Amino acid sequence: MIQSTLALGVEAVGQAAFDAGIKGAFGYPGTPSTEGFEYVEALIQQDGKDRVAQWATNEKVAYDLALGMSYAGYRSLVTMKHVGLNVAMDAFANSALTGVQGGLVLLVADDPGMHSSQNEQDSRRLAEFAWLPCLEPSTVQEAYDFTRRAFDLSEALQVPVMVRIVTRLAHCRAPFLRQEALAPAGIGLTPKARVQDWVLIPSNARRRYVDLLAKQPRMRQEAATLNRLVSGTGRRGVVLAGLGRAYFGQLLIEHPELAALPRLEVAAYPLDPALERAFLDQVDDVLVFEEDYPVLEERLGLRERAQVRGRLDGAVPRTGELSPRILKDALGLATPDGKGAAGLDLPVRAPRFCDGCGHVDAYEALQEALRNVGAPEARVFGDIGCYTLAAQEPMAAIHAVVEMGASISMAVGAAFAGQTPSVAVIGDSTFAHSGLPALLTAAESKANVTVLVLDNRVVGMTGQQPSQALDQVERLVLGLGIPEIDLQVLTPLPKQHAANVTALEAALRHEGPSVVVFRRECIQSLRRGLLKDHDRAVREHHTCSAEVCS
Amino acid sequence: MNATRIHGVVLCGVGGQGVLSLAQILQEALRRSGLHALQSEIHGMSQRGGSVHAQVCYADQPISSPLIDEGCADLLIALEPLEALRYVAMLRISGHLVVAEEPLPDMEGYPPLEDVHAALRAVTGAHLLDTESLARKLNHRQAGGMALLGMASRFLPVAEKIWRDVIAQRFEAKGPRVTEKNLEAFEAGRQMIPEGVEA
Repeated sequence: MIQSTLALGVEAVGQAAFDAGIKGAFGYPGTPSTEGFEYVEALIQQDGKDRVAQWATNEKVAYDLALGMSYAGYRSLVTMKHVGLNVAMDAFANSALTGVQGGLVLLVADDPGMHSSQNEQDSRRLAEFAWLPCLEPSTVQEAYDFTRRAFDLSEALQVPVMVRIVTRLAHCRAPFLRQEALAPAGIGLTPKARVQDWVLIPSNARRRYVDLLAKQPRMRQEAATLNRLVSGTGRRGVVLAGLGRAYFGQLLIEHPELAALPRLEVAAYPLDPALERAFLDQVDDVLVFEEDYPVLEERLGLRERAQVRGRLDGAVPRTGELSPRILKDALGLATPDGKGAAGLDLPVRAPRFCDGCGHVDAYEALQEALRNVGAPEARVFGDIGCYTLAAQEPMAAIHAVVEMGASISMAVGAAFAGQTPSVAVIGDSTFAHSGLPALLTAAESKANVTVLVLDNRVVGMTGQQPSQALDQVERLVLGLGIPEIDLQVLTPLPKQHAANVTALEAALRHEGPSVVVFRRECIQSLRRGLLKDHDRAVREHHTCSAEVCS
Repeated sequence: MNATRIHGVVLCGVGGQGVLSLAQILQEALRRSGLHALQSEIHGMSQRGGSVHAQVCYADQPISSPLIDEGCADLLIALEPLEALRYVAMLRISGHLVVAEEPLPDMEGYPPLEDVHAALRAVTGAHLLDTESLARKLNHRQAGGMALLGMASRFLPVAEKIWRDVIAQRFEAKGPRVTEKNLEAFEAGRQMIPEGVEA
């Protein structure tokens, strides 16, 4: 065992994947998963060996990259946030049927309490939906250990394995111990005899579905080795998962009397029914502490062997993340008085655009242009990124934000319903992520929409990761069928304001699809010099080829 | 230190002020003092000027909870006065608060600064620091954070040498002058709280 330095929970997953000998890591940025990829990316870059860390255009692409690497016989890691798994769901659910060759681990970071997400969906449900194992660490050490275990499990059962982590653990920094690091070792291409397993035409898929279901008892056995039934003395018990386990463990130190409660500690799924029954035989009354959905609560409640309480009956708040206070209240433990709240009304300090951000100039131009064309009340479809901040007062420049890429298709739908002008605002990375198919539909249907691509040249929101559409936006737009005359590229700067308003008015008045690209590098990226080398290389390449060609 | 319980420090401020960096220095200093320490942070929007906070929990035995309960924190380190008020309820009755007086008022509805300062002064165990004057005196615009850590150090079970080592290591890459300026700010803060208040 090696003493490691401090790392975040999500970074410990990255370290574990690296130590498990992955050949590649893939992902799409999304809080709180981003640092997991970045950590393993840094390790791979330092390692200098034949490994790859590649941000993908979106989560589905990332998942398929990992699956292809697995097919070729190597271990791979794929990372995303919970809503990203919706995007990768087709790949995820069907990879359960194909199975894997090299071990494949999916790190998915859930965000209970929606610190930086649009919902608090529970990825455990998606693992269950796909009939796949899910490991749920509660500490940084477990984040490491469970990820190592997940790779072994993936290869033993020949299925992808999910490691589910939540914000509080993802962003908890603690020391952890590592295990022996393995070098990437290929086990060879999927053998010929198994090729049909990967071809999911109905005749194969039916057979593979039966195979997948046949693996369930083995999955339950493997999961049971991480789950634990601790007997107690009373008939009142607790079920603990994820941070519920972590918070309860802490309370046990300060309230030793809690050790009397029989407890079922769940760290892996699917749950073994024998374990459930053994636990329910010991209790009449159960409190369930789990993050997000009442997954265990519903499951145990359906057995009707004990009164099961938690989020469904209000013993635990129905929404939001767990906290030590929630456990204390539900367990009837005394809570300290403390100093109490300050006697002053505290207005919220909302996040805002950085000083000098180009998005502000783009929105100001858009709002003025909308007024000038007589549509000051026009509803604008926004998307996901820093530019979502424009939905807040006083700017209130966008009026719908749903999921990645929705802006363009929703604007097209609204245009079909007669909205004029129908405007979409989308960032460059979100455009690459899932705006491309939507713009193709807009072009093909000749819908009367105006699409603004706010191109800040990076994935700004999550920490300025490289955008897959860097320097490509115009070519993509033209390639998707928008005529050159209906594409404008503007610079969002205060001094360009009047010209930008005029250009936007023309786009808004235009019948049919038009695209306006506002391009100026994210000022955080500029400050960090992230694109300096890239831009120098592009300039030198152009100069050089110009000399050669002229 | 009380051996049977988890101790906690809450750090807060506005994105870009260096809250997370202070939290990391604090965690490292506690670890080098032989304690178990966890840090928890919420930073999805940290560069976007929103509220940012972190917690550092420590104890002399292993810790599993990354969060401290309301009313249980021993210390609050606030880089901005209005942000401090949001977390006063986290403090236990005997807890201390070290807070910068200088506001970042660039937001809707910032209350009158006198009201904010008065509300802070009404908190027992509050120690306000005129970060603006200190920064001018030390000719170091960013002195505030390190000076607050210096004040906070009086309430934490970490030896002065460990503080200096951790801070020096943190700024090593930025050269000896930056390191010296930060150590100076730390020391200035440390001198503002009399020795032996509580540790």
